Amino acid sequence: MPQIFQRGANKLPALSLVGLLFGAVFVIGAVWYYFSPEFYEVGYMPDQPVPYSHRLHAGEFGMDCTYCHNHVMASEHSNVPATQTCMNCHTLIKAQSLDLLPVRESWATGEPVEWVRVHHLADYAHFSHAVHTNVGVGCETCHGRIDQMEVVYQAEPLSMGWCLECHRAPEEYLRPVEEVTTMGYSEMVRADEDTYQAYIAANLARIEAEGIKPPQNCSACHY
Amino acid sequence: MIELDVLSPADVALDGQPRAWRSPADKAQTSEAQALAQSEFHPAAFDADDLAGDGATSRRSFMKIMGASMALAGLTGCRRPAEEILPYARKPEAVIPGIPNYYATSMPMGGPAQGLLVKANEGRPTKVEGNPAHPANRGATDVFAQASVLNLYDPDRSRVVRQAGEATSSWRDFAAFARQVQTGGVQGTMAVLAEPNDSPTMARLRTQLAAAYPSLRWITYRALGDDNGALGTQQAFGRALRPAYDYANAAVVVSFDSDEMGPESLNGIANQRGLAASRRLTSRTDEISRIYVAESQMSPMGGLADHRLRMRAADIPHFAAAVAQRLGVGGGSAGSQAVAAMETVAPVLDALVADVREASGRVVFAAGAAQAPAVHALAAALNAQHGGEVVRYYDTGAGTVTPQDEALQVLVADMNAGQIGALLCLGTNPVYSAPAELGFAEAMANVPVTIHAGLHIDETAQAATWHLPLAHYLEQWGDGRAYDGTLSPIQPTIAPLYEDAHSDLEIVNLIATGRDASGYDLVRTTWRGQLSGPFEDAWRTVLHEGVLPATTYPVVQPAASAPNLSDLPVLAPDAMELVVRLSGQTYDGSYANNAWMQEVPEMVTKITWDNVAIMSPATADALGVNSTLRKGKQYVSVVRLQANGGDITLPAWVQPGHPDNSISVAAGYGRNLASDRVPPAKTIFQRFKLGYFDNDIYDDGPLANGIGANAAPLRPLGSRIAMLEQPTIVDEDYMIATTQDHGGLNVENATSAVEDRGIIRQTTLAAYAQGDDAAYDPIPLIEDVPWQEYPPVWGEERDAASDPRIAEAMYAENQWAMAIDLNACTGCNACVIACQSENNIQVVGKDQVSRGREMSWLRLDRYYMGDVDDPEMVTMPMLCQHCEYAPCEQVCPVNATVHSPDGINAMVYNRCVGTRYCANNCPYKVRRYNFYNWTQTLPVEVQMAQNPNVTVRFRGVMEKCTFCVHRIRYTQGIGHIEDRPMDDVVTACQQACPAEAIVFGDLKDPESAINAARRDDRNYAVLSYLNIKPRVTYHARVTNPNPALAGPVEIRGSYGGDEYGGGDGYGNDGYGGDGRSGTPAEGVVPGDAPAS
Repeated sequence: MPQIFQRGANKLPALSLVGLLFGAVFVIGAVWYYFSPEFYEVGYMPDQPVPYSHRLHAGEFGMDCTYCHNHVMASEHSNVPATQTCMNCHTLIKAQSLDLLPVRESWATGEPVEWVRVHHLADYAHFSHAVHTNVGVGCETCHGRIDQMEVVYQAEPLSMGWCLECHRAPEEYLRPVEEVTTMGYSEMVRADEDTYQAYIAANLARIEAEGIKPPQNCSACHY
Repeated sequence: MIELDVLSPADVALDGQPRAWRSPADKAQTSEAQALAQSEFHPAAFDADDLAGDGATSRRSFMKIMGASMALAGLTGCRRPAEEILPYARKPEAVIPGIPNYYATSMPMGGPAQGLLVKANEGRPTKVEGNPAHPANRGATDVFAQASVLNLYDPDRSRVVRQAGEATSSWRDFAAFARQVQTGGVQGTMAVLAEPNDSPTMARLRTQLAAAYPSLRWITYRALGDDNGALGTQQAFGRALRPAYDYANAAVVVSFDSDEMGPESLNGIANQRGLAASRRLTSRTDEISRIYVAESQMSPMGGLADHRLRMRAADIPHFAAAVAQRLGVGGGSAGSQAVAAMETVAPVLDALVADVREASGRVVFAAGAAQAPAVHALAAALNAQHGGEVVRYYDTGAGTVTPQDEALQVLVADMNAGQIGALLCLGTNPVYSAPAELGFAEAMANVPVTIHAGLHIDETAQAATWHLPLAHYLEQWGDGRAYDGTLSPIQPTIAPLYEDAHSDLEIVNLIATGRDASGYDLVRTTWRGQLSGPFEDAWRTVLHEGVLPATTYPVVQPAASAPNLSDLPVLAPDAMELVVRLSGQTYDGSYANNAWMQEVPEMVTKITWDNVAIMSPATADALGVNSTLRKGKQYVSVVRLQANGGDITLPAWVQPGHPDNSISVAAGYGRNLASDRVPPAKTIFQRFKLGYFDNDIYDDGPLANGIGANAAPLRPLGSRIAMLEQPTIVDEDYMIATTQDHGGLNVENATSAVEDRGIIRQTTLAAYAQGDDAAYDPIPLIEDVPWQEYPPVWGEERDAASDPRIAEAMYAENQWAMAIDLNACTGCNACVIACQSENNIQVVGKDQVSRGREMSWLRLDRYYMGDVDDPEMVTMPMLCQHCEYAPCEQVCPVNATVHSPDGINAMVYNRCVGTRYCANNCPYKVRRYNFYNWTQTLPVEVQMAQNPNVTVRFRGVMEKCTFCVHRIRYTQGIGHIEDRPMDDVVTACQQACPAEAIVFGDLKDPESAINAARRDDRNYAVLSYLNIKPRVTYHARVTNPNPALAGPVEIRGSYGGDEYGGGDGYGNDGYGGDGRSGTPAEGVVPGDAPAS
């Protein structure tokens, strides 16, 4: 009667144990990485009804963020501009462009342009733009280099752990309120060690002077 | 961990009778009532027997549910669906997305208009609050104003113009028809049945209508008949006047069947504020008013009373006559001798008369809306004699009023004779509410043109040739006058949701002139005559303020003549009466399709989703009515009521304190609404026909249909009190969803533990003035130990006070707390609906309420004290107490409920996995669990009523009062930006309270009102002996009985003093050496010291 199991089969239990171990590590690692907002949220870039280019407007033309998102210093929402704001310029510039047809349609009918939302916050979490912009959290800190995006995508995970990184060490992220809409400020202050140390020192002084205490308790955002 | 003192049962005196009780079953301590009180969750909450809806769990239904669950589990999406952002095309100037706008407007109801401030989020009204600039309500509102925003979003509202019952017409068609009528005239008389409305524009249009139709007959129609107050003052003074009672300065108040704060009162908010002010105690030497109430149905007014006499409504005129006769007004009535000689009445009558004589000048006599005009006239005469300092009258200029029911009778006769060419029902619904003996519906068929304008396709709409959808007050331009005459505009906060909807002003104008003018122009035309100076400026100021100051009616104090009472009818002692009253939930039926109002427990009975025949325990026994509590649900007999050609069946309700041989029924139920709404396509859950998942209360057409029976037609013409034929029992075991036994706190376990836990505390003014605190304060409140000094819960190394992350955290500079004055609270429900509207609290339906699954974060616990036949009543608002040592926080396995640095017990919904341990461990039973996903099935219209600043909760999470944390955080955010202090946080319940019973504020601010309130000697915490340090405290109730009387209830003298004294170790250590713990009232023996 021939052997069903060859001699080599003796290694199988050990091999499968090792395989199981690696498998478990792999599954845990995969869940860790792929189930995290860093993986499945960052890079979300939905198609928009109008091929609006932030790179062109905010980058090349250097338009300030608050020209369109004009309530960001006052309201918890940073408003998407009304069609009217687009038409301030586009009655004269590119007035015949096919790309802008949905905008002109909206202007003619009064029906809104249906933009697709890019930045989702988790359910049951409240966030106020005004509170952050007024204390000197820059647009790019959360939204990334919008001025380099042809189509807007989510640049940061917007997860709670990510929020807390800043809330625990605000001195690493704050900037003067007048620089809130400046793109590239973070890179600039990190250009060399001396600039960065001066930046941290200035922030620490300001945090002390203005009593900036970012809350870290649940009820600050979750209610 | 905290070491709690262990209370030995042997140390506690126990006589088996709880002092404060919630229902007859609770008083009798039946095993059912005990079972209900002992567990956090209702016995039926997890009853697998009826999960499948068919009464029994078969293997089949179990498989069905589980199979569907498994199948559906795989269908849930893997990624969030794409959301859209819809910006304005042209943004209105004043609207900033994310910042609500507030508009001053007013809500007309029953004649006068309440001044309101309406919050609109991106043009969508979501919350109604009182207008603080309005002199009549000063920022407070009643329950109806709070709930009115849901009427706007009622999915069953009428949407299109209907002709002959067909929805094929449009407003344009009606306008063409109206023009035709306007030029051609009507054959015969034009009759209008209009709601009472003090609008100046309506008055102006009415004269225009009269000019266009010389035969016009305008009848002001109220669902329950005559305005007895107007008719009564007319008897007394020769013209109709409006009484203005200055309750705040009254020393003695005598109510003849008048709930001065309820739906029947036109001036309820001011009355409630005044009565609360007259009962407010800031020091031990303060005087408070003494309130005598003779009433049939137990009401909040009766709860407030120091001496309450239960009496049939038909006997009350004779009681009033007896009082008047003793005070030298009038010569009594045919029945006054008999009533005055009644055993319960005679001593109270003596005391009352003595008090009135002593306080003469500061006495208010108030007569109820259900009482005959003669009683109102008598009250006016008594007020003229004894109320000189506190009773005034507003002269509305109404002159003489004709009784409505007489005018109706003539109208119906003319309709039958074919003399009425056109009938316009303007917001009224006579087919539903007119007395049965009139035969209104049949008479309507004889009128060639009948036009109905209303919010719903109601009973009259279905019988009319034309139906016009009416605009809600939040959608229309208009104006109104408050009870005191203050003029206020009505400005829309949203365009009409339905194109065809128009305001009553626009409709009357169209019929009168043939021109389709906008309400805006009509109102401005009127106001051009009202405003001085440049019109546009003045108009904008009025719209901003919401009131035109100094426009009150002239105040008069004329001499009154005593009415002739000799012909008052006498009801034989054994005859049965039926009294029909406006409902505190559905009003006259206009709130019947409002889910919040159907589900808010009635003020006294605590019944939801139902209408009942209220009767006394003795009458119920005589009729053979059964009332049993089984598995936490109340089952009762159904009785048949016949009177005046009406015939209805209603479940019987045994009401402690109700007079014998009297049955009270609320109007506003038994609706038959039609609706254009197409229910949405069934979800996969519903297609499986799983009763388990079928929790959509809006699924079966209009909510109002099929609930209760319509009692209004049973009343006789000219009265609200009907002679009732002997009621018979027609059915048994009708299930009533009442919350009166839900969340019971008072008896922990009648055989082994604390019998009376001092939840409701009450004393008399005399005892309080003498400093006899033991009478109400058996378990003293912990003195204000700063929270940092509390012993650590989780060990020293994790102590909150020493952890810099907490001690120096943002928000720690505020410490929020609330105090509620039980002397002021009347149980009016305004706070409950305010909370529901503010916090997106979902409605669950009758079946779920009966299982104890109601979602209200703030409930009003109503307790009785004393005898079942004639108890006292107290209401206590119960909400999350935000304990500093919250028991819920200690048992949550996932840290979903935690404490914030500002002292709020927070719920983190993201973390909650629904173990419900927290609810199990909550001694106050205030946590609410989402057994279903209630928001999933909300019609899109109702979704518009949700507050965007508060989340909606999903199935499987726990929720509870948050201290309106979103308001706190919003103010903190604004304060952060604008660098201003946190001094204007107001919770929704506090904002709404007409009695100003709720104080909320920051304990860290030494000047704050909350600190002053907590220093009050009456301050106590419920279940303080558990050592959990609640942030919500209560002020003990202080009554003011006449010393000559033994008191309305025999209050056990010690009031628990002995039980909690006697060295049981209660809090001797746990209170942290505050000096107030220990043994109160040494030497007091239970039942020994008299209460008064």
